[in-house]
Amino acid sequence: MATIEVQRQLLPILDNPNQGARFYNPELPSSEPFVPGHRTCAGCGPSIQYRMTSKAAGDNTILVGPTGCMYVANSSYLCTPYNVPWAHTQIGSAGSFTAGVAAAYEAMIRKGKWKGAFPNIICEAGDGSASDIGLASISGALYRNHDCLIICYDNEQYANTGIQASSRTPYGGMTTFSPPGPEVPEGKKLFPKDLARMMAAGHPHCYVATASVGYPIDLMNKVRKGLNHKGAAYLMVYTPCQKGFVYETPRSIDLGRLVVECGLYPMWEWNPEKRAYDYSFRPASMRPVSEYLKLQGRFGHLHAEHIATLQKFANEQWRMMGVTLPEALIQAADAKNLVNMASAAEAAAVAETV
Amino acid sequence: MATVSAAKKKTVRINGCVAAAQAAKYADVDVIAAYPIRPYTATMMALAQMVANGELDAEYIVADSEHSQLSISHGASSSGARVFTGSSGVGVQFAYELYSPISGSRMPVQMMIADRTLDPPGDFGSEHTDALSTRDMGWLMGWSCDAQEAFDNHLMAYRIGEDPRVLLPQMVCQDGFFVSHITGDVELPDSGQVKEFLPPYKHPYPLDPRHPVSHGPQIMPEQGPPLQLERARAMEDSMAVIEEVHDEFAKIFGRRYDPWVEEFMTDDAEVVFFLQGAHGVTARFAIQHMREKGLKVGLVRLRTIRPYPTDRVKEVLSKFKVVGVIETNMGLGSVSSGGVLYGEVCAALYESDRRPLVLSFMAGMGGEAIVLKEFYWMTEKMMEVQKRGKIEKRTHWVGFED
Repeated sequence: MATIEVQRQLLPILDNPNQGARFYNPELPSSEPFVPGHRTCAGCGPSIQYRMTSKAAGDNTILVGPTGCMYVANSSYLCTPYNVPWAHTQIGSAGSFTAGVAAAYEAMIRKGKWKGAFPNIICEAGDGSASDIGLASISGALYRNHDCLIICYDNEQYANTGIQASSRTPYGGMTTFSPPGPEVPEGKKLFPKDLARMMAAGHPHCYVATASVGYPIDLMNKVRKGLNHKGAAYLMVYTPCQKGFVYETPRSIDLGRLVVECGLYPMWEWNPEKRAYDYSFRPASMRPVSEYLKLQGRFGHLHAEHIATLQKFANEQWRMMGVTLPEALIQAADAKNLVNMASAAEAAAVAETV
Repeated sequence: MATVSAAKKKTVRINGCVAAAQAAKYADVDVIAAYPIRPYTATMMALAQMVANGELDAEYIVADSEHSQLSISHGASSSGARVFTGSSGVGVQFAYELYSPISGSRMPVQMMIADRTLDPPGDFGSEHTDALSTRDMGWLMGWSCDAQEAFDNHLMAYRIGEDPRVLLPQMVCQDGFFVSHITGDVELPDSGQVKEFLPPYKHPYPLDPRHPVSHGPQIMPEQGPPLQLERARAMEDSMAVIEEVHDEFAKIFGRRYDPWVEEFMTDDAEVVFFLQGAHGVTARFAIQHMREKGLKVGLVRLRTIRPYPTDRVKEVLSKFKVVGVIETNMGLGSVSSGGVLYGEVCAALYESDRRPLVLSFMAGMGGEAIVLKEFYWMTEKMMEVQKRGKIEKRTHWVGFED
């Protein structure tokens, strides 16, 4: 059978001399596949991420949107903010629908039914889709190595349905499914699923990375690396949710930096060629988790012991990345050195208001 | 124009599963989404070998579940590719979420079903409940009774579903084992005939970066009904297309099917069986035997259940005194407390001036063959009802009564 060779795109990597610092690159791509006018909340982390990632991808792109905030709030009432083709799919179909699009283009280009360079195929899945109901479908797409990029915009909860715990919700995070009360003072008792490492460990031929809206150039470069990688790529992006995290709306980007600086969102890349993690990303400073927690109402109920538990968790993350811990962070993991954010009764009162 | 004589046809001996795979190959499908479950698996095995041999250029995807199979098919069809998938039994149900989104986005995905009983327990036998449970999801649906008909139905379903006046997905069903695993002579066409019959798939609004479109945005309640109405109209409008395509098929391939019902020995019949699929083959023999004894019995086999040919069923069945519906499906607590076909038959007959008496026979359950003596027994029941002129027992579990 005569077949046509599939041509792929190669996107340039942006200059990013000091990735961990507050840095702005004026040479941003001008294309805006994701335009204003949608109905997301003020300060919405996922939509900031959406704009950056689609900007990095450019116009020869197809977007797939499983059910979640970025489906409902963006495509309300038959209006959508996409300048490129976009399709909704079911919340559990993130990886599988995307795989179908990629497979279609492989076949259609090869068989001469569609002419042009292979499009960037990007799936924007929330963490509920990526870590829970659509996990198998994403794993399937990564395992089969379809040429696509699956992004998890991680706002650590089911936000679209009114703030429910997902398996990405952090320990101590208050949601309507993990409220604090006298019997359960910490709210969420479980630690989050380490989804990105799961994806890297289970699909080592894929480009896998974590990123945050706090570092836009780094994020856009990781999008481009994922798209340039021939085969499947997975990107996990910290995207704060003002509604669920309960913080002042202008602080989304601050939170995106603080979460990295306090060690709760380790930044790394999995290099599929070397079969190795790259931990070279370093934030400008390291901070105790309390500085991140105190900005958010969802942690307002935590007692000293819970904060210490989260600090221990963060310290483990630093150690996994080979970072030597300063004494202050070791001290901060001892509850004796910490104070309660609120009493259980006060926490229950706060939970009522969400 | 018709090229029957010029064609390089060949006859092969294959089963229903392989016939379905052959049809997908002749349709030159672009994307195949597979996941194993008996008995349909053999179709995907055959396609995998065709791809491995270089006989078919398609992306062959081993999905991680039936839900993923249907999602892959949805994504690929939305992008402009011709898609083939399939399943059986509980697999059909695992994918249930996708049936409405696929028909609602008007993507003509084709799905082969080789029926299998639902759990519990792990019964491999054929029962139509798997596919029938999805009957109102906006998919074109009908049963074949042998491998040749399966092959033909697959080709016709692509042509019907991809017609711009229709744009609906298709479930092309065959009984597990009775069709899927029983070999018969199948005439494979010349590829030129298929080219003439089946134009390339061209969706008017695919996901194409050069012509950006949004598929499936979220809507207000009042924006829902117009979309539902369009989908309902597509289903209604497909009826004319289905007839047209069956005519065209007969002209090009030389085999003519009534798109809606097959009538067998019904000319002077007083009592008839009404069923779908493979048991129609046994029914024909049973009827011939009973005819030799002078019993005026016949068969009406439904070929297309979605869209349901209400007027045709009414017109055909009104000619008889008694109709015995052979269900081969479970409708627990349904109209007849038997299967779901009874309700469909009675609803079609409601507006008739001459309504026959209708019985529901629970036969072929769990994949049991319906043997000749059971057809004789059911005929007796129908004759008794005809004699009495009324029904005393609406539903009979065949094999559980004297």
